[in-house]
Amino acid sequence: MTDTALSIALSELTETQSVAVDWRDGPMFVLAGPGSGKTRVLTTRVAKLLSDTPDRSFRVLALTFTNKAADEMSARVTALVPEQERRALIGTFHSFCMQMLQQHGSHIGINPDFAIYSLDVDRQDILRDAIKRAGLSQDDVRLLSTIDKLKSRLIQPTGSSRYFHDASDGARVEQVYAAYEAALTQANALDFGSLIAQSHRLVTDFPGIAGRYRKTYAYWMFDEFQDTTDGQYRLIRALAGEDFGNVFAVADDDQIIYQWNGASYQQIQRFRADFSPHELQLPTNYRCPPAIVTAANRLVVHNSQRTNAKQPLEAGKTLLRYPNEQQIRIMRFSSDEVEATSVAKGIAKIDQVRWGEVAVLARTRFMLEKLQSALTQNQVNAVISQRRDDFRSPQFLWLAAVLRQALRPLDRRALETLTGAFNRWFGTDARVDLIITAAELTERSLLDEWAVAVKAGLDDDVNGNALVDLAASFAKEPSRFKHFIDKVLAMIPAQDDEASDIAEDRAAWSDLVRSIGKAIGHDAPLEQFLQELALRSKEAPVGSSTVTLMTIHAAKGKEFDHVYVVGMAEDILPSFQSLKAGENSAEMEEERRNCFVAITRAREWLCLSYADSYRGWSKKPSRFLGEMGFVLPEQPVQ
Amino acid sequence: MKISRLKISNFRSIKEADIQFGAVTVLIGTNNAGKSAILDAIRIALTRRWGQRGTGFTEYDVHLCEGRPDPKVGDPVVIEVELQEAVANEWPEDLHSELEDIIQLDPITGRASIIMRVSCSWEAAEESFVPRWEFLNVDRNALAGRGARAVNLQEFFQFLPVFYLEALRDVADEFSSRSQFWGKLLRTVQIPEPLEQKSKRIFDLLNRRLLEADPLLADLATGLSNISRVATSDAPGQADLRLLPLNTWDILSKAEVIYQTEDNKPWLPLARHGQGVQSLSVMFLFKAFVELILKDLYRPESAAVLALEEPETHLHPQAARSLWHHVSELPGQKIVTTHSPYFLQHVPFRDIRVVRVEADGTRVSSLPREFRASVPHVPQIDTIVANSGGLITYDRGLAELVLSGALPQNQYRDLLVAYGGRPDTANIHAALRKASETSQEFISDAELEKLETFARRIRGEIFFARRWLLVEGQSEYHLVHGIAKGLGYDLDEHGVAVIDFQNNGSPEIFAVLARALGYPWLAVVDGDPAGDDYIARISAKSFSAEEITRRTSSLPAGFLEEQLVADGLQNELKGILVSFGNVGAVGFDDATLIAALENDKSGYAAVLAKQCAENAALAQRMPEPFRNAILALRGLT
Repeated sequence: MTDTALSIALSELTETQSVAVDWRDGPMFVLAGPGSGKTRVLTTRVAKLLSDTPDRSFRVLALTFTNKAADEMSARVTALVPEQERRALIGTFHSFCMQMLQQHGSHIGINPDFAIYSLDVDRQDILRDAIKRAGLSQDDVRLLSTIDKLKSRLIQPTGSSRYFHDASDGARVEQVYAAYEAALTQANALDFGSLIAQSHRLVTDFPGIAGRYRKTYAYWMFDEFQDTTDGQYRLIRALAGEDFGNVFAVADDDQIIYQWNGASYQQIQRFRADFSPHELQLPTNYRCPPAIVTAANRLVVHNSQRTNAKQPLEAGKTLLRYPNEQQIRIMRFSSDEVEATSVAKGIAKIDQVRWGEVAVLARTRFMLEKLQSALTQNQVNAVISQRRDDFRSPQFLWLAAVLRQALRPLDRRALETLTGAFNRWFGTDARVDLIITAAELTERSLLDEWAVAVKAGLDDDVNGNALVDLAASFAKEPSRFKHFIDKVLAMIPAQDDEASDIAEDRAAWSDLVRSIGKAIGHDAPLEQFLQELALRSKEAPVGSSTVTLMTIHAAKGKEFDHVYVVGMAEDILPSFQSLKAGENSAEMEEERRNCFVAITRAREWLCLSYADSYRGWSKKPSRFLGEMGFVLPEQPVQ
Repeated sequence: MKISRLKISNFRSIKEADIQFGAVTVLIGTNNAGKSAILDAIRIALTRRWGQRGTGFTEYDVHLCEGRPDPKVGDPVVIEVELQEAVANEWPEDLHSELEDIIQLDPITGRASIIMRVSCSWEAAEESFVPRWEFLNVDRNALAGRGARAVNLQEFFQFLPVFYLEALRDVADEFSSRSQFWGKLLRTVQIPEPLEQKSKRIFDLLNRRLLEADPLLADLATGLSNISRVATSDAPGQADLRLLPLNTWDILSKAEVIYQTEDNKPWLPLARHGQGVQSLSVMFLFKAFVELILKDLYRPESAAVLALEEPETHLHPQAARSLWHHVSELPGQKIVTTHSPYFLQHVPFRDIRVVRVEADGTRVSSLPREFRASVPHVPQIDTIVANSGGLITYDRGLAELVLSGALPQNQYRDLLVAYGGRPDTANIHAALRKASETSQEFISDAELEKLETFARRIRGEIFFARRWLLVEGQSEYHLVHGIAKGLGYDLDEHGVAVIDFQNNGSPEIFAVLARALGYPWLAVVDGDPAGDDYIARISAKSFSAEEITRRTSSLPAGFLEEQLVADGLQNELKGILVSFGNVGAVGFDDATLIAALENDKSGYAAVLAKQCAENAALAQRMPEPFRNAILALRGLT
């Protein structure tokens, strides 16, 4: 049964894909173009490694960039080799680091039940408190982004001042950074940056731990390696030590679009220099029709920061819905308003059941918002899909904050969230500062004082009172959080008005619970549930007959039958900043890769549109249109 | 993999216990001292069956004491099991990989460890005692993430199956087809299909022939067919008589061991043999079980833990004495309880754990090679460790400071300083003090080696005694027994072991042993230079002056014979010499008398002891230090 699932998967591979899947020992670098089946290669390789060694117990590590991608990969591996699934650790860099710190963090003073602060507001709060306690200037809250930059370069607070030209600036940052880290430690919390930085510190301070990971995880795989940051790469390097070579990285140097976040062609070059990997290219594109493949090839040769011997993409798709000349459409409009309306009208003509396979991509969110209102006017369901760090509806914000408060009774940030959310939900006006003062006087818990405060404003609201009682009694026994969640979910209304986010949040919640259950089991305690919750996006899954609106960055790794790329104009794609940086700048190359990523999302049909003016400013068509060899319309569409 | 340490709190008779385990560990102690509680703690901690609610603990398992009359209120029952590699990668590679998520690492030496905690307390919401199993990190905090998944526990148990052989080993049960070893062994037997079919045909044929042999059998079968009419519905059933097994499992399940004690004796089933043979056979059955099928039933890397109660049951002393050898050769880790001095005679000192009940519950004593304190690692101690010449190490895999001998004062002070000025300094200092104090009880391998050589004869009995009285030689040995009896305090009845240390080593080693293992002791020595030297040697083992005064005394008049003469016992002594045929003894002056007695030490002492035993008045005239010691033994701590 299983054998067949895997052998079918193996038989479906192309010759080159098979070479990659069969690769056993030693470093390997696979340059995989868009739609070349890299996810398939990775999952099949994991499954094959495990299935080839049923009586061995080494594990396989596979890291990718989003929890969604990790969930999909592990579901596929489970389907291929269900009885070996336990030997595969599939996750993101952050989830992997979280696990490492949960298990071994005590050597650097980290408790396994740490909280993860994923929201900037939470982190600013922590920093503000830290600054106050250390007697530093309140203005220094703005140094948070500087701290993040230091962290992403794995620089610990001590001695961080030497990275600044100005000694007094450096000294000040070092002080603030140290205070911030001390406050995080005191709160038993880590932020995203610390997950990587502390893991790196752990394995460099104690190489024995890195040695253990090398031994237990005999094969490592990295998806989307081009997006690896400097810190992540150095972590890999530290884990691998001098001799470990079973590193298998899949990347596309033409899809680096997170340069601003630390991703760089440099990392690929470092990997080549450090590991001397065998290299393999997967240029065949099975996703896009030939016209798009041609356009992509024409576009990307204008970049210089890429593998010299990179083969051009080859069109491998066999079943085509449209003839070659109809696969790409170029549209010109007089203004961004017209562009939005016309694209929306065009989409409205598509059969509703296929809306789920339609996406509109734009360089920035600005265009997407325009599109969303235009689509709504045309009665087309559409959502802007992007990572959400938090829920939107007061109901779910309250639920998550109560869970956090119950686990950490002194957490003021959670108190603020749950008070604010409940006030919005029931129109109460409980005040956080009064609750805190009251708690200091009565020595009751913050949650108990909140209950007292909020009940005064609830009068005889049955639901509200019941929820308050539920929260108060739950806080006494946080281990029964499943029960609490079920009760609260039953009391959250389906949808209270047109603009409410409840339905989305509810869909997101059940998606999250499923995904977390898959990762850590359904019996995991509350603190782990919250750790996993913090790592994940709270975005609802896109409904089946809903058009997806995305920035190009968010579209990475995704694919749709019909793709509209709007705003193909100078100053937008390429961006104003890249133009300022110059024709041959790294920034311009990144813009070109953005365009490359955008057009290669399309499975059947691509529409590239631009307007003569945006926000009232006249713009020229994007240079990339020309580079792709398109003939542009002489007149805007009327 | 084996259990290296077990910590127990609030479990049955045990308030707090911290026990180290080796490949074999022997628990001794009186009935109800808490030996079974220790074995049960291991059994409960390591044999949780998933999905069975209520497994593990009941209200009777909670340690109750004066401050805690209600099991539902108070600290939880906690059992903490530690396993640690002696050297890096001692455990098989597959075990490492399978248990990766729960393994903690000493990042310096690379030694792996696993710490599991079972805790249990009353949960009002559930209205029951709810146990909780979790794996811990080196700081004893529960692991989160993958380390907290329930599946780890099942995997872990697979590697460390626990078997329990109770004192009452019934051959009929242990060799039944449903038993833990025999039954499982039988079930793995595979008979080839053709042979199985052939056997079945032969049985059927034979069965028919036998039924035909006597019409009575055939009639009986017909008569029994009526059962089904009554028992089941109206469908007419059939009954048949089966004189032979139905299939091969029927045969196998009836397999039994027969045993011939000597060449010309008959072969008899085990159950027909004596109790001793039966008891032994069960142990060897366990051995066969582990060697033949443990790896198939569990995992190739699994290591059995055998909790074995009183292996000596029903055995002749000679057999009990050689039993140690067999037990130590059983596969896996053995935790043994015994009441047999003969069995104990060959158990290495380090493997013995003395279990006894004291006012605050069960206490377990031993002679560890190392003493541990749970304190965090700080960089300042690295130099102290480096300069200690191996005496002090830091175990990062368990976050413990390890002392491999008695900690000198100056190094103790250095450690206190290293942990000064912290919020948790008070706790750390307390842990260091405790480790430092207990480390003073350290006994080196060389000293124990000497004891092994000289004291083998008496070690069996002294460990089962309640108190020790140290005297110099044979004469004193006899005398104190006699005096005590005369004074109405029979030493044997009261569990006092008299140790004549000159024949068994040296006095200080017994004093140190007594202190480490918690035996209250006294010593009476001669009032001569040799006696003074004995006391000096004891004092040198870090006993306080107060202790020395309380526990040791010497004969004021000199050596024993001088003291007896000084106590005015000339007539009795001369009488004994005369009874030995030394008629001239009547006229001896004191010096000659003393010299004559010295020539016949144990002879006269044995007779004098006998006289004392029968004559209370005489016993009262015996040397005061002996009489005082005997008085002090009552209630001695």
